[in-house]
Amino acid sequence: MAMTMTGEVQLPAAKETVWAMLNDANVLKACIPGCEELDKLSDTEFKAVAVSKIGPVKARFKGNVHLTDLDPPNGYKISGEGDGGVAGFAKGGATVSLADKDGGTLLTYNVEAQIGGKLAQLGQRLVNGAAKKMADDFFANFAKAVSGG
Amino acid sequence: MPKVSMTVNGKPVTGNIEERTLLVQFLRENLRLTGTHVGCDTSQCGACVVHVNGIAMKSCTLLALQMEGASITTIEGIAPSPTELHPMQEAFRENHGLQCGYCTPGMIMSALDIVRRKGHDLDEHTIREELDGNICRCTGYHNIVKAVAAGARAMAK
Amino acid sequence: MTATGIGAAVRRKEDIRFITGKGQYTDDVVRPGETRAVFVRSPHAHAKIKRIDTAEAARMPGVVAILTGADLANDKIGNLICGWMIHSKDGSPMKMAPHPAIASGKVNHVGDAVAVVIAETRAQGRDAADKVKVDYEELPAVADPAKAQAKDAPQIHADIPNNTIYQWSLGDEKAVGDAFRGAKHVTRLDIVNNRLVPNAIEPRAALAEYDAGTDNLTLWNTSQNPHVARLVISAFVGIAPEHKLRVIAPDVGGGFGSKIFIYPEEVVCLWAARKTGRPVKWTAERSEAFLTDAHGRDHVTHAEMAFDGDGKILALRAKTIANLGAYMSTFSSSIPTYLYATLLSGQYGIPQIYCEVDAVYTNTVPVDAYRGAGRPEATFVVERLVEVGAREMGLDPADLRKRNFIKQFPHQTPVIMAYDAGDYNASLKKAMELADVKGFGKRKRDSARHGKLRGLGYSTYIEACGIAPSQAVGSLGAGVGLWESAEVRVNPTGSVEVLTGSHAHGQGHETTFAQLVSERLGIPFENISVLHGDTDKVQFGMGTYGSRSGAVGMSAIAQALDKVIAKAKKVAAFMMEASEGDIEFKDGKFTVAGTDKSAAWDDVALNAYIAHKFTGAELEPGLKETSFYDPTNFTFPAGCHICEVEVDSETGRTEIVNWTAVDDFGTVINPMIVEGQVHGGIAQGVGQALLEGAVYDKDGQLVSGSFMDYSMPRAHDLPSFKLGLTETKSPSNPLGIKGCGEAGAIAAPAAVINAITDAIGTEQISMPATAQTVWSALQRANAARQAAE
Repeated sequence: MAMTMTGEVQLPAAKETVWAMLNDANVLKACIPGCEELDKLSDTEFKAVAVSKIGPVKARFKGNVHLTDLDPPNGYKISGEGDGGVAGFAKGGATVSLADKDGGTLLTYNVEAQIGGKLAQLGQRLVNGAAKKMADDFFANFAKAVSGG
Repeated sequence: MPKVSMTVNGKPVTGNIEERTLLVQFLRENLRLTGTHVGCDTSQCGACVVHVNGIAMKSCTLLALQMEGASITTIEGIAPSPTELHPMQEAFRENHGLQCGYCTPGMIMSALDIVRRKGHDLDEHTIREELDGNICRCTGYHNIVKAVAAGARAMAK
Repeated sequence: MTATGIGAAVRRKEDIRFITGKGQYTDDVVRPGETRAVFVRSPHAHAKIKRIDTAEAARMPGVVAILTGADLANDKIGNLICGWMIHSKDGSPMKMAPHPAIASGKVNHVGDAVAVVIAETRAQGRDAADKVKVDYEELPAVADPAKAQAKDAPQIHADIPNNTIYQWSLGDEKAVGDAFRGAKHVTRLDIVNNRLVPNAIEPRAALAEYDAGTDNLTLWNTSQNPHVARLVISAFVGIAPEHKLRVIAPDVGGGFGSKIFIYPEEVVCLWAARKTGRPVKWTAERSEAFLTDAHGRDHVTHAEMAFDGDGKILALRAKTIANLGAYMSTFSSSIPTYLYATLLSGQYGIPQIYCEVDAVYTNTVPVDAYRGAGRPEATFVVERLVEVGAREMGLDPADLRKRNFIKQFPHQTPVIMAYDAGDYNASLKKAMELADVKGFGKRKRDSARHGKLRGLGYSTYIEACGIAPSQAVGSLGAGVGLWESAEVRVNPTGSVEVLTGSHAHGQGHETTFAQLVSERLGIPFENISVLHGDTDKVQFGMGTYGSRSGAVGMSAIAQALDKVIAKAKKVAAFMMEASEGDIEFKDGKFTVAGTDKSAAWDDVALNAYIAHKFTGAELEPGLKETSFYDPTNFTFPAGCHICEVEVDSETGRTEIVNWTAVDDFGTVINPMIVEGQVHGGIAQGVGQALLEGAVYDKDGQLVSGSFMDYSMPRAHDLPSFKLGLTETKSPSNPLGIKGCGEAGAIAAPAAVINAITDAIGTEQISMPATAQTVWSALQRANAARQAAE
């Protein structure tokens, strides 16, 4: 069960600032909806635990997050896979690019995600909406963090 | 484990149960009233329908603890006596409204609720619409519809 | 006809327990010290199992044991098997991949079991199952049968290239080619027979108990054929010798084929019960049932029919890819071959038929028999071709059918079957009258005034039932014989117990079988009980599927009753001091011809047991006979279903406004029960045509995996049905029965689709014909019409 999603968000900070925050585990942890743990294993690898509820299935996903295609300060690809136990799995990635715009930074994202197991079996009709909401929440949180909120 | 008390088929019952115990589990596993069945896990099939304070509900979607003080009626509790049938039960038998029997208790409990809400003179369209929450895989519903109509009429007598 | 004999609409004996909640289904059975099995299942369609870590799970409260595929292999538990050998057209045997009850090394479909937790309660089992850590290495998956044989498709099983199980054919390819070259008109169709989930409302369950004192294992399970389950579990899986394993299939809440097969969970419960010394119960949740019950259908077919200038069918040719899923289920190989291609002649005299079938593995749940099993797929091909052919040639569809009906019997088709009796004109004619086909034009105009498109579709189907003569199926590759057994025990007081190898899971055998006995012995219906489904009580039997319980199972009872009557006559002769040849038996009374001497049934039964009137040298005491009945041919139920629909041209929503079915089932034992069977079959066929579809995404995830997304027919999706019967007796069994269990499911899909395409004026419609599908077809048709104008 795959889905794709694209979007952009205008952030009131310089590209370098945004880039630094995109690589800051504490910022990411605060912004990822349902994120309970995000521990940095290396500059490009994190260990994560996040709780997510899609339709009737609620699961705690455990997995790793990797950063690849690093192009400071213009963007990267953030990807990960989470094991939700009996609920199934979720995995995916987002290509994030940053560009100077209107004195701030325009962040563009391109998400590809896949779910399987019970999540796909019972929650597939709701998954696009849920993923969209998670992305919206993440970038809203991130924009707030960038604005110093 | 918390304790719950309710009335089931006119008899007071209590049980110490895990919080997550569903009403249907309590009925089937604690009270051994196995006439109430489980046919799905998404509240769709209606095999688990019982009456809670006189109203049809899916017992797979209720926690047993929510039923504190409630009066529950199951398929085992609708006949007027151990040697008699309820008119709706009789109608299902007379009209061949069942085959494998698995959905039947839920169907009968839902049918009684339809009569409670819609009266004794039920047309085919009403019955078919009102049976939306009960799935039967055997009968094609033809004879269930006839049975519900006949049972409703018989209950008026 | 007596009130409780053959032909009477007797109310069912079994109903009292079901309507009062006293049925005993497998999950209702409780054994002391019972534990629960909860399976850990793969969320991936195709993956290597790198590691299974059960340490944390094993420490969870209530856990009794956690077992994996490695444990299964260590204990040398055998694989599940497919019991019907099919050979490819090059002569090579089908390629059966190993099917362990718990996956080892690799998972091949979402839902494949990787471990099982045995715990004190189901909740504890679930909690622990959630803590079992499985590391997978995902592999590319293929779910679409049409893509399974592609060069770049992932190979699912080692040594089975192109995921191809067999490439089978039936018929004379060259002769068919010649016939097509001589045709005036050829109709061509691409057909997808949509994948279905049987969804008996009782989920599958198994409860196993081991008695260390006797070394006996008992299995309660949701089976349509407990003896076959015992045989396979003993002889192939090797859990226990046959005489040390008892299988009890108590009340079973619907089967529709899906409970014929031997499943991993039954094997695991038995194995775990012996290993842990505790009874082990597993009951499927519906979500689990969607991922583990064998699915049905799933064919991709290209079919062609050749006609001459008079609308006579010259030949039929079909190429089908059949999806058998990730493993070969118990009878899966036979469904798209000998239960499919052999019915491609329909009710028609078709001189030449050729069919090729490729069976493929995919990363999906195994596919096997589901109500109709191969015959709905065949009927859909034939009845769509005939209907579309008629429309293309500008002929009346009923008239085209009549022109091609087989009228002389026996009739040998080019695809093995020898039809022995039927009157296809009679059922068509009666159905057309009941459906008021004459008034259709007016009804169509009335509908049009309300913005509705009305259409009418026929399906004149045939099926091969009463499965089946053992020698015949043996020659086609079956690993078993398909006879049936019966034992008739007459008690000293004259009451009768019938032990049958058939199994009822909704069919009402306790009633219909008793009707036969009541009629033959002239004793009260109440004095007869029918027992089935327990291998310790009932002699070996083959079970219920393929509409065989009446034609084969009851014939076995009839044969045993003949033996009982013959023996009882001997007893009566001694009692009345007459010669055996002078004893007559009628209406439960034995008389001596030409005298007024008589003996009642009960007296004769008693005398058989007290044995005071004869010596053991003259006659054995007792009155009990056994029979194994093997039919001489398949039976061929046939008939005509007419579906009338109204399609909302704005929304594409289809409403079935009339349904008429006229079936020829041969002898009818209980018309009420037969009608019920027809109703249920039609509902499942309508479900296939309008609502149901097991949908896999490209990664092999089942996305219609619950009743929220898999649309089961509900009461308001269906009309009441108009039914009629015609009768030609089956000459292949002593009762003349043909069987009625599958007819509706076989006939219905083609009738619905023929009606919808008639209504909307385009043939491009796929099943399920949901409102969206029909609406899209209407848009395409409108666009094409506008482009043409």
